[in-house]
Amino acid sequence: MNIVDISYFNLAFAYLLLAAPLAIMLWLRVPMISDTLVAIVRMTVQLLFVGFYLQVIFDLDNLLLTGLWLLVMLVVADLSIVRGCGLRLRRVALGVFVSLLVGTLVPLLFFVLFIFQDSAALGARYLIPISGMILGNCLRADIIGIQTFYDSLRQQEKSYILSLSQGATLREALLPFVRKAFQAALAPTVAAMATIGLVALPGMMTGVILGGGDPMTAIKYQIAIMIAIFAGTALTVILAIRLTTIGNIGAEGLLTKDIFIADRKTH
Amino acid sequence: MSSSLQTNEDPAVKAILIEDLDLRPGDLSLFNGLRLSINAGEKVALTAPSGFGKSTLLRSLLGFVPPAAGSITIFGTQLTSRSAWQLRCRMAYVDQEPDLGEDTVEAAIRRPFRFKNNQHLHLDSDRMAALMEQLQLPLSLLTKQILSLSGGERQRVAIIGALLLERDILLLDEPTSALDQDNGSAVAKLLKENAETTVLAISHDEVLVKTCHRVINVKQHCRRLA
Repeated sequence: MNIVDISYFNLAFAYLLLAAPLAIMLWLRVPMISDTLVAIVRMTVQLLFVGFYLQVIFDLDNLLLTGLWLLVMLVVADLSIVRGCGLRLRRVALGVFVSLLVGTLVPLLFFVLFIFQDSAALGARYLIPISGMILGNCLRADIIGIQTFYDSLRQQEKSYILSLSQGATLREALLPFVRKAFQAALAPTVAAMATIGLVALPGMMTGVILGGGDPMTAIKYQIAIMIAIFAGTALTVILAIRLTTIGNIGAEGLLTKDIFIADRKTH
Repeated sequence: MSSSLQTNEDPAVKAILIEDLDLRPGDLSLFNGLRLSINAGEKVALTAPSGFGKSTLLRSLLGFVPPAAGSITIFGTQLTSRSAWQLRCRMAYVDQEPDLGEDTVEAAIRRPFRFKNNQHLHLDSDRMAALMEQLQLPLSLLTKQILSLSGGERQRVAIIGALLLERDILLLDEPTSALDQDNGSAVAKLLKENAETTVLAISHDEVLVKTCHRVINVKQHCRRLA
């Protein structure tokens, strides 16, 4: 690796850049300064912790330890999605977890087994960043997808009831809501694919270039990861919607209202 | 009626039979042993002030609000969460403020005909055109987006959609509340013309109520406990 390191002292200069957005917030009296400061502190602490931890994992390069780290990432993503969607943990956490697991593992295994075809790809240095990128996108897509699905189902309950009263099966009645949620969840990834390289240099490509790889190698990595991300998000969203409806739709076809946390419930 | 579920039913079998019904949606307790029997082809109007459970009663007939006590029987079949899915294929429901989705009018009318349970039904385009004419809706409305329609237009489109499904029972929740007198009368006339169809309509529209064979004041059968 011939990447130029940044000293901690030099890194401190990056925080000076925060003066501009914080000043704008103060000027506009935007009530999110404390949230922003907390977020910055969290980001710093979390990333430092992850940096130290990953250093250990990369040094040990043990598949079991890597798997455990992936499990931690999945659980954190699961909790974050459920909280972000305003749904009750006990009602949807398992379904979301399984959807994340499948959405991350399937493209990851495909990546490792068919695209790299190299035993080095089973190492922590490959598995963790690649699964992290896929999982991060799955998380974002799941939040949009699940939230769109349940919010529209709740807001358009009359339309849903009309379909059921017209003789629709559960699948037929839910289809317009699933379609809407799926489209909303995948739209950012589709837009990102359409503009990639033109609007911004994506993370993986930048990483490979900074790591000393040539641009064509970086582009091949980026194409592969974009396809993996797209496949992963599509899988996780459809599974998350399907799995979270299990046990949350009554025998008569209506959504169980206690799936929503109390302050989001409408009457 | 074209329902595939329809068999050679005993004419003595009631279209709707409600026995000792008590509903408890949410924190409410509605009705106190409601008993009601409606014959096939009968038109019944339900009246009562707002909040006395009329709309909940219609939803319970569709299986969306299970009885806390008592029973509901539709053409001899007891309504349960399991049987509701089949029994819904014998009924059509029109909400007071229908939400017909986010498509065009024609797509909204055609949509239920694509459902697996309705595959035996065929949309009669001539009848659709005739119904639109009767309810004073231009054919050009078919290509309009549902979201661009007025409340009255939506209500009439919902009624047309319900009639085209040719169900045995029509459950109507204030079907003329957003209509002017002429259109309200046209709806009442349409319902009367469908002699075989059983109609249970919540309404305070005098013309529509007069069209019905019976008027039932739900208030007399209802208790409200917060």
